Amino acid sequence: MVNFTVDEIRGMMDKKRNIRNMSVIAHVDHGKSTLTDSLVSKAGIIAGARAGETRFTDTRKDEQDRCITIKSTAISMYFELEEKDLVFITNPDQREKSEKGFLINLIDSPGHVDFSSEVTAALRVTDGALVVVDCVSGVCVQTETVLRQAIAERIKPILFMNKMDRALLELQLEAEELYQTFQRIVENVNVIIATYNDDGGPMGEVRVDPSKGSVGFGSGLHGWAFTLKQFAEMYADKFKIDLVKLMNRLWGENFFNAKTKKWAKQKDGENKRSFCMYVLDPIYKVFDAIMNFKKEEIDGLLQKIGVTIKHEDADKDGKALLKVVMRSWLPAGEALLQMIAIHLPSPVVAQKYRMEMLYEGPHDDEAAIGIKTCDPEAPLMMYVSKMVPTSDKGRFYAFGRVFSGKVITGQKARIMGPNFQPGKKEDLYEKTIQRTILMMGRYVEAIEDVPSGNICGLVGVDQFLVKTGTITTFKNAHNMKVMKFSVSPVVRVAVEPKNPADLPKLVEGLKRLAKSDPMVQCINEESGEHIVAGAGELHLEICLKDLEEDHACIPIKKSDPVVSYRETVSEESDTLCLSKSPNKHNRLFMKAQPMPDGLPEDIDDGKVNPRDDFKTRARYLSDKYEYDLTEARKIWCFGPEGTGPNILVDCSKGVQYLNEIKDSVVAGFQWAAKEGVMAEENLRGVRFNIYDVTLHTDAIHRGGGQIIPTTRRCLYACLLTAQPRLMEPVYLCEIQCPEVAVGGIYGVLNRRRGHVFEESQVAGTPMFVVKAYLPVNESFGFTADLRSNTGGQAFPQCVFDHWQILPGDPCESGSKPYAVVQETRKRKGLKEGLPDLTQYLDKL
Amino acid sequence: MFYLIGLGLGDAEDITVKGLEVVRKCDKVLLEGYTSILTVGKEILEEYYGRPLVLADRDLCESAIDEVLIEAKDKEIALLVVGDPLGATTHTDMLLRAKQFGVQTQIIHNASIMNAVSCCGLQLYNFGETVSIPYWTNTWKPDSFFEKIVANFSRNLHTLCLLDIKVKEPTEESLTKKVRQYMDPKFMSVKEAAYQLVQIIEKRNDAGIISKNSKAVGLSRVGATDQRIAVMTLDAMQRCDLGPPLHSLVIPGPNLHPLELDYLAQFE
Repeated sequence: MVNFTVDEIRGMMDKKRNIRNMSVIAHVDHGKSTLTDSLVSKAGIIAGARAGETRFTDTRKDEQDRCITIKSTAISMYFELEEKDLVFITNPDQREKSEKGFLINLIDSPGHVDFSSEVTAALRVTDGALVVVDCVSGVCVQTETVLRQAIAERIKPILFMNKMDRALLELQLEAEELYQTFQRIVENVNVIIATYNDDGGPMGEVRVDPSKGSVGFGSGLHGWAFTLKQFAEMYADKFKIDLVKLMNRLWGENFFNAKTKKWAKQKDGENKRSFCMYVLDPIYKVFDAIMNFKKEEIDGLLQKIGVTIKHEDADKDGKALLKVVMRSWLPAGEALLQMIAIHLPSPVVAQKYRMEMLYEGPHDDEAAIGIKTCDPEAPLMMYVSKMVPTSDKGRFYAFGRVFSGKVITGQKARIMGPNFQPGKKEDLYEKTIQRTILMMGRYVEAIEDVPSGNICGLVGVDQFLVKTGTITTFKNAHNMKVMKFSVSPVVRVAVEPKNPADLPKLVEGLKRLAKSDPMVQCINEESGEHIVAGAGELHLEICLKDLEEDHACIPIKKSDPVVSYRETVSEESDTLCLSKSPNKHNRLFMKAQPMPDGLPEDIDDGKVNPRDDFKTRARYLSDKYEYDLTEARKIWCFGPEGTGPNILVDCSKGVQYLNEIKDSVVAGFQWAAKEGVMAEENLRGVRFNIYDVTLHTDAIHRGGGQIIPTTRRCLYACLLTAQPRLMEPVYLCEIQCPEVAVGGIYGVLNRRRGHVFEESQVAGTPMFVVKAYLPVNESFGFTADLRSNTGGQAFPQCVFDHWQILPGDPCESGSKPYAVVQETRKRKGLKEGLPDLTQYLDKL
Repeated sequence: MFYLIGLGLGDAEDITVKGLEVVRKCDKVLLEGYTSILTVGKEILEEYYGRPLVLADRDLCESAIDEVLIEAKDKEIALLVVGDPLGATTHTDMLLRAKQFGVQTQIIHNASIMNAVSCCGLQLYNFGETVSIPYWTNTWKPDSFFEKIVANFSRNLHTLCLLDIKVKEPTEESLTKKVRQYMDPKFMSVKEAAYQLVQIIEKRNDAGIISKNSKAVGLSRVGATDQRIAVMTLDAMQRCDLGPPLHSLVIPGPNLHPLELDYLAQFE
């Protein structure tokens, strides 16, 4: 650290209005990490000259080798705004009086969809997002996904158009064309924002607007960037117009006639678009002069833009010189940091509207008020969003954000995992915080305490939390809301140690792996198999590599990747299914039926969820899905895991003591929903109705031991009589390629049961975008296959999109689903063949 | 032939002469071991009957009894049940199934807690519906049996409360798994039963006709030589230790016959 010390940062942490917590998000390869470097170089952690080459935030070796970001990384930076710029901050909660310095906590997150859980974790602890878009490729699928997530978490975005150097040097776009490209990207981004945010909502208007200065342009690689503010400043004196007015004039349908000195709203023969004339023209001139080696022009230009070449750069030319000139003329750090300080919200502003999204408890208890006001004197509320491995093998820093109060080294706090419920002891530990630390890219620094509104790490908490959790000093605190991921772990492999004696090491390693990644699931099957489930092939590959090299440190054998399926039904059960308890005294009568289209997704998205008020939920189900209102009020539970997309509905009338067996029936339902009858895969989209129940008069004869297994048998009978089906996960796949490669893409997709639903040209470029649905099961090796069939010109991005019924009857031998069922049963060590209905269905 | 033979309440010698003769001539003898237990173990019974016994747990009696019944088609098989074979926990389903398979059955009765409870002096004629009190778990706390006690009480009838026994019950967690794990055997004492009843009374808080100060009769090891009977309030019963299992509890009706009162007085 060159510019500041830990003590200085600690001082800044108290000035909560001058803090900006932000993440950098974008599609893969749009240049986030490179851009981040120019910010870091400005804040002075690494030498300015190396920005653009070092990828400071990619701390892992494989990240540097592959040139992609895998883990999100946090850095704190310090930046002073000049007096003249401070006036742009009008909200009194956006800066402390008489303080020019800003503390910026930045999180660089991965762009590849397989790692979007890292983005989710990053968004949770920040208030603003710098959305980076490659101006050549435009808004891509992952841009949309992350932006949507950001808006849903109430994160305010600002936009940066990156890779302008490519637009100028490679594509040689004309000024007007480039303006149109920019204009289109801004529009696309604003359309996404408008779709997911209501302007009248608590966050207010979040659209990005170049004329307000919330859109930046430039090149992260070359280290230069600007907003309209920079150019307006250059011309304000000349035009004698107010800065803000001038910024408005520099974007959109504003044309200037150089001869008559008149502004117009329309293009005519004489005038020129102001953005092209005043912003792009000078840049084009500099590019032209330097790249075409027009020595005489260069000197004149440099004088005009006020850049002097340092002695050591004097003999450079071409690209190298261009970099030096652009960087000193329009330094990226300056423009971006200004944009961040001016347009992104401080914790004080953001927490006001984010509290209700973040906190599960009542919105007026001490914790809620503390979060809402970002009060460092209120009880501590901190959310741990991820675990970061330490240099000490097997231990992790708990990384998160303090929303209220202060987290102090040596403080006694309540550590609450995601399963904690107020008033209960489960998933709750009262422990001392061993140490609080500042996390700065590759380095950590110990710090005494951290007040609300800041991001930090904790030592010693990792033993009590699996992945995430809430840390508080308030006895009655509820949990902070658990993060919702946009991807799901649909691809799985089984792992085992090469040397069986290493099994304990593998088990320990799996535990560590589960901690280190926000989404990966490590499951121990009852059959003794160890399963690792991830979002995609790449995600799994990285996880397994980590497992082998860092967490377990033993050679590992892995199975081929397999897909997890879902079991569902396609019709209502054709008989009323009866199952008797082992003692024959209790009888359950039930049926299964498929849910209407859309309801499973509504449950996934939380639009219908177990915590809703049952009356509101019933009303919604009755309005949207024509469920009977009285029945819809008697949904006993969702499953599996109490939240999944299957429901159990009590349609019985007047059964005495029914509530005494409810828990047992629910437990049996959770079990059956987790392990379906066909291949013990999760159920999806099944509604079970309880029509009648006969019970033994004596409570002792209708305990869990009698009811739980009976419920499961009855549900299995319901499934088997309701035309069971399998569902497979399907990716939405976006492929960018030149026109010549499109044919090859169709060929590959056809062979893999994929189908294209959209094909369009990226406006202003020769590139095509093909969007297709591709079954996950067919996606293994897809990227390589695609490359070899398109001469390496097509790059796919696959993101889990939906579940789709695998056509065919799994009970009919020879069908595709039958084969899948048999394969899965075999892998799980189940009896081969089909489940036998008579085992589950009893006769009256 | 399939025999259901009652073993009575106390020890090996409580079997009837008829029952003993059947046991001695049978091809196979099963001992049902989950609805009740004797004060003596399986080995003592084997020694006394002079033949090996097969222990039949809940799984066998409820889920796998069909095989036994089919075997009984052309063999003599007996199932020994503590108390009366059709007493508290019915094995009627077994008899129904035997009939389905065309297997002949015979029942040899014996004493049961249902009649032996009269040893405390309360008249059998005045007992109402019998209830069982199950062990509560953290999440499962049924109290419907209490209503039946109240109903009996309001009609001036005594209630015999059979207390939960768990000989080989799967643990709650393992119920939803394929591999069953079993709890350690446990037998509810009058102390525990009284505690649960008091909990219900306090929770209901409707100043019902049964209160903490209502009379209760605790019985242990009825039929054995060291049987014990104690009469006190429900409240006091929470602290009363009646020794090893099995225990039963009686909530007498409010107005007792003078003879009943006199008899009970011995145990106060």
